[in-house]
Amino acid sequence: MKVATTKGEIEADELDIHDVTQWSDNARVTATEWFLNGELVRRDVWVNGLRPVKVGVTCEQ
Amino acid sequence: MSSNVTAVCASFKQQILQAVHNLSTGGDTLKAALYYQNSSLGSATTAYSATGEVSGTGYTAGGKTVTNGVSPALSGITAYWTPSAQIQWTSLTISSNFDAWLLYNASKSNDGIAVLTFPPQTVTAGTFTITQPANGPTTALLQVS
Repeated sequence: MKVATTKGEIEADELDIHDVTQWSDNARVTATEWFLNGELVRRDVWVNGLRPVKVGVTCEQ
Repeated sequence: MSSNVTAVCASFKQQILQAVHNLSTGGDTLKAALYYQNSSLGSATTAYSATGEVSGTGYTAGGKTVTNGVSPALSGITAYWTPSAQIQWTSLTISSNFDAWLLYNASKSNDGIAVLTFPPQTVTAGTFTITQPANGPTTALLQVS
């Protein structure tokens, strides 16, 4: 399987693949880093929104 | 820590009372723009601006149109809405850290709706995807209650 990178399309088997996971209050992020001979040649990022933003709260009487 | 903060734009709250926005399916065109760290986005943001917006291969200024296939809904005392599809850029390169996206209304003077933040990222010749929370009264991206 070939992967598009800064060096053109490269067979995935030739690349070192690292997955990085990060958290914040609002999101969980997964990044996939693809290295060729130690050089980063591709980085994909997926941001998973975890919670809403709320416009406001009303007070019922 | 970045100066970008997750928040509903305060101006959007006023505009709700002015019947400015139509988030129904087939209504206004909504867009998502990406911003570098420390662009000072937050509740005081009123509209899309190119200041602080990312640039790079695969990114067009103004960002992407947000798919809106589900109209706002009401459950009890909570009205809610979420984009109906992920927002994605492919073959993208952004070399400096970015950590926020602005949801704005391209049909209404690019008025800002909300700022959403995430841990700072770069993208290299790859895909950047934003997935929304589930569209429900307690989980939807945007809630009014």
